[in-house]
Amino acid sequence: MGKFRTTDRAAAEELFNACYPRLAGWVRRLVDDDDTAHEIAAEAFTRLLARWSSLDNPQSYLYMIATNLVRDHWRRAGRERRALRAVSAASHGDPVHHPSQDVDVRALIQSLPDRLRQPFLLHYYAGFGVREVAAMLGRPEGTVKADLHQARSRLRAALGETGA
Amino acid sequence: MPEPRGELDTWLGVPVQPLLPPPGTFERVSRQARRLRTRRVALAAAGALGVAAIAAVAVPQLVIPAPGTGGRANGTALSAAAAPPQHPAAGVAGSPPAPASAGPPVPAVATAPPPLSVTFVGAATGWVMGQSLPAGQCDQPAAPACIVLRRTDSGGASWRTVHAPPAHGPNGPTGVSQIRFLTRSDGWAFGPQLWATHNAGRTWTQVATGGLRVTALEARGRRVFAVWARCAGTGTGFASHCTGFTVYSSPAGSDAWAPALTTPATVPGPAGGAASLLLTGTTAYLLPPAGSLLAGPLTGAGLQPIQQPTGAADGRPASCPAGPAQPDGQPSGALLASEPSGLDLLCTGRAAAGRQRKTLYASADGGQTWQRTGQAPEAGTAWSLSGSPSGALLLATSRGIEVSADGGASWSAAGGAMPPAGFAYVGMTTAAQGVAVPADPAQHAIWFTYDGGRTWQPSPAGA
Repeated sequence: MGKFRTTDRAAAEELFNACYPRLAGWVRRLVDDDDTAHEIAAEAFTRLLARWSSLDNPQSYLYMIATNLVRDHWRRAGRERRALRAVSAASHGDPVHHPSQDVDVRALIQSLPDRLRQPFLLHYYAGFGVREVAAMLGRPEGTVKADLHQARSRLRAALGETGA
Repeated sequence: MPEPRGELDTWLGVPVQPLLPPPGTFERVSRQARRLRTRRVALAAAGALGVAAIAAVAVPQLVIPAPGTGGRANGTALSAAAAPPQHPAAGVAGSPPAPASAGPPVPAVATAPPPLSVTFVGAATGWVMGQSLPAGQCDQPAAPACIVLRRTDSGGASWRTVHAPPAHGPNGPTGVSQIRFLTRSDGWAFGPQLWATHNAGRTWTQVATGGLRVTALEARGRRVFAVWARCAGTGTGFASHCTGFTVYSSPAGSDAWAPALTTPATVPGPAGGAASLLLTGTTAYLLPPAGSLLAGPLTGAGLQPIQQPTGAADGRPASCPAGPAQPDGQPSGALLASEPSGLDLLCTGRAAAGRQRKTLYASADGGQTWQRTGQAPEAGTAWSLSGSPSGALLLATSRGIEVSADGGASWSAAGGAMPPAGFAYVGMTTAAQGVAVPADPAQHAIWFTYDGGRTWQPSPAGA
């Protein structure tokens, strides 16, 4: 099992060609630049291919990995931003400025708790149906629906409060 | 100013623009995946059975100390609760656990050995066992120093290498795969061979078992209990193809092992079935592959079949066979645990297409009668069940960790940075702190919770 069988490789390459562009594009909307998007997409595929023969739904697995990697990236970036903000506040006192509306919405999504953010991204962003998201997250469909509703409500409320 | 609703919908409605891969990306990804797979396979069992493709790589393992008060033992299928000799808070000599607020640690891929088994004797002090070489090289007698043992006294914040038994990885009748400590001095390495230390690991002594294999071991109070089984499994499937189980016990501070079963002397079982050992504050339980639960006092006086109340059919729910052994020797079909209100038994169905039926039963009378209390989420394959001193139940699956605060009636997924293949083991050291071992050892980390299991973060295992 140390190497791919020819048929496995062909199937993996087919999935890669079919899914990579959309996955990387999906990640790109959630991170800051193309390089980071490629890095995360490639890492997700690396982990997928490492477990290739034992997966019954590779695409779900792929997006789950990518979602976790994006979350990790956000955390790292958040720490850097906080550090930068501290330095900036000490010297200038300037508030952090988001360069685009897209980033504002994204920042709000980042602020959602994991419980709400995961189904939100997988459903509204990656395009998985409620049933698929429920299976991926191991939650009842009703719970996923409720989480999606709550996530949207929170985002709308936050957007309303900020007047964005 | 746009309406919030419109803005959100607009944002969500923007189609994803495909991002084409740079040239050579697939080849690079394939190479990295091969390296990752090779590392993983290193720990896979040639005979690791189908319990799972997911765990094919991991020898899940762990131990967890039981909470000091209330007589709870961690009841995961994989390990037993080794109760710390003193209350967890007092047992750490003033050394606080690593603060969860320190930020999510990142697994140290290069330096930490893949974790096989973990044990804690309080919130601060624990050991993690790993292999310094791939399984194909580590399970040979010619590699006696292959087992690596690292210790933390800071709740996982930092680790240092300590003396390990001069053993290789599990290979049929020889080697070790699991670690348990009852105190900072008394510890055991087992699965299938048995080694003991009574001086904090400075020296290890092999315990003669007469050819029997030690498939489970737990320590609590002043004694240690172990399941000695007659098995024919090969490779890392050391606990498979077993035909008889005997519980042995010894004072924790010595190696005076003697049978702790009164009747029958040896519990027969169908070939391929595994047995589970669970210690609570006062009682030792053995769940054999077939037949009723056996129980005996922690004094080591002897285990006997639990007497059923008149009219009760059996001490176990119907259709709940223990099933074949997981790579760590624990049953895959029936996961036994305990929490303050009693015993819990998760009966699993056949795993198919990433789903598995998981029915939970509870007993408030020491296993005499059982009641169905709930159904855990079907997604994922169940590997380990643990009771918390808080009364919560935690279930490690191939998807992550599920937590129930109401005895199994409802479950919610734990948050945090979950490993892709889920967890092979979960156990709570205290009501707040717990540890979990990923099913994929390539993660090179173990996971900690400091909020009762609600969220988990990785920590380099021995880096």
